[in-house]
Amino acid sequence: MTDMRTEYSKTLIEIGRENPNVVVLGADTTDSLKTSGFGKEFPDRFFNVGIAEGNLVSLSAGLAASGKTSFASTYAIFLPGRAVDQIRNGIAYPSPPGKKGLNVKLVVSHGGLSVGPDGGSHQQIEDIAIMRAIPNFRVFIPADTFAVSKLTRLMSKEYGPFYMRMARSQTPVVHSPSQEFQIGKGITIRDGNDCTIAACGITVRMALEAADSLQQEGISCRVLDMFSVKPIDAELLEKASRETGCIVTCEEHNILGGMGSAVAEAVSERYPVPIRRIGAQDMFGESARDDEIPLLLEKHGITSFNIAKQVKELRSKKL
Amino acid sequence: MGLNYYQIKKNVLKARKLVIRATNNAGSGHPGGSFSMAEILGCLFYKYLKYDPKNPTWEDRDRLVLSKGHAAPGLFSNMAVAGYFPKSELDTLRKFGSKLQGHPDLKCPGVEFCGGSLGTGLSYSVGIALAGKIDGKNYHVYTIMGDGESDEGQVWEAAMTAAKYKVDNLTAFLDRNFIQQDSYTEKIMPLDERLDGDDLSEMWKDASRWKTGDKWRSFGWNVIEIDGHRIEQIDAAIAKANATKGIPTIIISRTIKGKAVEHMEDNPQWHGKAPDSDVVPIIYDELDSQFMIAPSIIAGDMTNLENEVKRCVAGRADYIHLDVMDGQFVPNKTFDHTKIKELRPLTVIPFDSHLMINEPVKHVRDYVDAGSDMITVHAEVCDESSFGEIHDFLKQNQVGVGLAINPSTDLPAWSYKFIPTLDQLIVMSVVPGQSGQKYIEATHEKMRSLKSVLNDNKFSGYIEADGGVTLDNIGSIFADGARAFVGGSAIIGQQDVRGTIREFRNQVMKTRRKLLLDKANELGGTELVKKWIGLHIVGEKKDQIKKIAQEAGYL
Repeated sequence: MTDMRTEYSKTLIEIGRENPNVVVLGADTTDSLKTSGFGKEFPDRFFNVGIAEGNLVSLSAGLAASGKTSFASTYAIFLPGRAVDQIRNGIAYPSPPGKKGLNVKLVVSHGGLSVGPDGGSHQQIEDIAIMRAIPNFRVFIPADTFAVSKLTRLMSKEYGPFYMRMARSQTPVVHSPSQEFQIGKGITIRDGNDCTIAACGITVRMALEAADSLQQEGISCRVLDMFSVKPIDAELLEKASRETGCIVTCEEHNILGGMGSAVAEAVSERYPVPIRRIGAQDMFGESARDDEIPLLLEKHGITSFNIAKQVKELRSKKL
Repeated sequence: MGLNYYQIKKNVLKARKLVIRATNNAGSGHPGGSFSMAEILGCLFYKYLKYDPKNPTWEDRDRLVLSKGHAAPGLFSNMAVAGYFPKSELDTLRKFGSKLQGHPDLKCPGVEFCGGSLGTGLSYSVGIALAGKIDGKNYHVYTIMGDGESDEGQVWEAAMTAAKYKVDNLTAFLDRNFIQQDSYTEKIMPLDERLDGDDLSEMWKDASRWKTGDKWRSFGWNVIEIDGHRIEQIDAAIAKANATKGIPTIIISRTIKGKAVEHMEDNPQWHGKAPDSDVVPIIYDELDSQFMIAPSIIAGDMTNLENEVKRCVAGRADYIHLDVMDGQFVPNKTFDHTKIKELRPLTVIPFDSHLMINEPVKHVRDYVDAGSDMITVHAEVCDESSFGEIHDFLKQNQVGVGLAINPSTDLPAWSYKFIPTLDQLIVMSVVPGQSGQKYIEATHEKMRSLKSVLNDNKFSGYIEADGGVTLDNIGSIFADGARAFVGGSAIIGQQDVRGTIREFRNQVMKTRRKLLLDKANELGGTELVKKWIGLHIVGEKKDQIKKIAQEAGYL
């Protein structure tokens, strides 16, 4: 198990050494996000604005408008969940001639239900929907620390607004160190013909486990890491629809507007097949101690067991 | 460098007219807040901001962030006057396909900030200022905020951040016009104190009720409080802000929403409404009718001119007229540049030095160095060459250029080439050299005919009436075309300078209203007269104007 925030911090410092234009901003969560490490090495390029997320976003925009590459970080619940106007009108909308949006990367941790003990008020299950709906934004949900590191680098090189959501808890490794990540390209982690499981973030591991157990029953599943929720890899999804005939999605997000919705939208336009979306069924989360987080996720059906169950049911509904 | 007073005033006027044109054309928009910040933008665009309209992304440019983005017409108008795009482009404001969006947008090169969602501009500005510090750039960030906007909590988040990071390369303006969309700010969310009645002037009169400055001071800011329509005060505040190191500065500018158009002034209705087409020509005339009153201190106590200057300032004069006489061009002697230099530190109010001296070309530099903001020389002692030299020298030094003609002098032929850039023409209505004379009646006719000559020659400055101006004749002199009035004993000779200046203003206003009623009647008869009067809903204006209209037989 590895820690996404540690990896994010490490990568930021590396990028900071290579690129003097990178600035990092936080809102009184810089120890938690571990961005304070950047601040120690580059005190002039690090700004802690206090508990003021709107300020955090607008300040990042001002720096970006003046040639900086801004990384602004705090918890998911306080960025899209709180500062959506500043994000929309301050980062996404302002477009210098020939460009789309300002060069700000919003990187959050504590996405989804797996936040655990802080409770439903702090479990951001709407951020993908919010961020996906804002023009010019691209949205990433990395599954492991390799993804975090590579996507952080990718964002630092690619102009424009990005949103990246990390998990609070330590995460298992699902990718190989050599895995490449491209904007708008999903990753086929495992091939299969009977059904496709599309996942992102911590559910990628669950998808793989479900595929393992189904394998023992003779069902061959394709597993996709749809880390790039926007732009979504419609081509890959179309191929999966044609070749496997049905798709189960799983995410720790409301099923309305999340990754599952993005998949369903792409598939229904390109090659409709039966789809089932696993996630919070339009309801909020609640507190759960760290060791109880699996129970919380289970309550919302976010388990490998439920993925496997849904795959089996859905196969019978194939067209 | 001088104040660039007249140039700023002229450009502010152009910009205001463009705001009317653009919002009328668009059928919507925000003239009120565009006018309250008009002089602030004027000082920035035509004095302080470093920018290149041909290269809007120039790295070292100063940044102007219009946080109160709804006042976009004000910003766009000044950008047009400054040369970013043709003035005709303002006709596309708020229309499909235009780069002039309803709110400022990066689509328009030169715009620094997509404003409109209020309360975010100061944070953004802090970001720009910090980037400048990281990069070791010398650019300055100027941010204009609204007072209604200050309801937004993020303003105060940004205020703390700016103080924490010591962004002294940032100067904020608070356009304190006391009006937000719904009503007066002190009714919706008091920044100073809660206002119970509807009389906004209550808040103006009683400085002990102003709390906004205290708020900003307690947030760690350098606070400067000014009258936001007085160019010299804005100028001095910016200079002071730029010289303040280690903390950010906010210039709290008390302003009037809709300033310069009577029916819009202090009227919450004009927050976001466009003027109707039939009223537009009247508004243009009204904008052209802005006027100034300047006491001439030599008519006061010559042994204590310092005190006379102070009385003028306390009396709310627009500027001070300084009659320099050398005992040669005129028989009397008053003072020279050394006296002006002594008086200069007393006040920032503009000094209008009227040189009644021989060979002014030899001395004009001394008067610039002494701190004159306008310098007028006499046509009788100039020719094309010497006046050309004076003209160019004054322009280079951002000092207003004035030409004076005696009662018996006509505008000389050589002067015509200077008319388009001339800032001030003094039409002497007494024989210069002594105070206490009566207004020479023939000046009325002379000024009227001069007015049309000047119009034909693209004059954009002010005609100044000098000599024998009184409460009885100021109205008719205004009607003749004068827009600046020098008052000698009639003003400075009075005990209550402030009250006297107020009476002078009221007298001009009466004539002005009558002339605007004439215009309304000419354009649209009784109907337009009634409509125009009906627009004046604040205070007692409506009744006062109605009375004038009745006397004129329009109602």
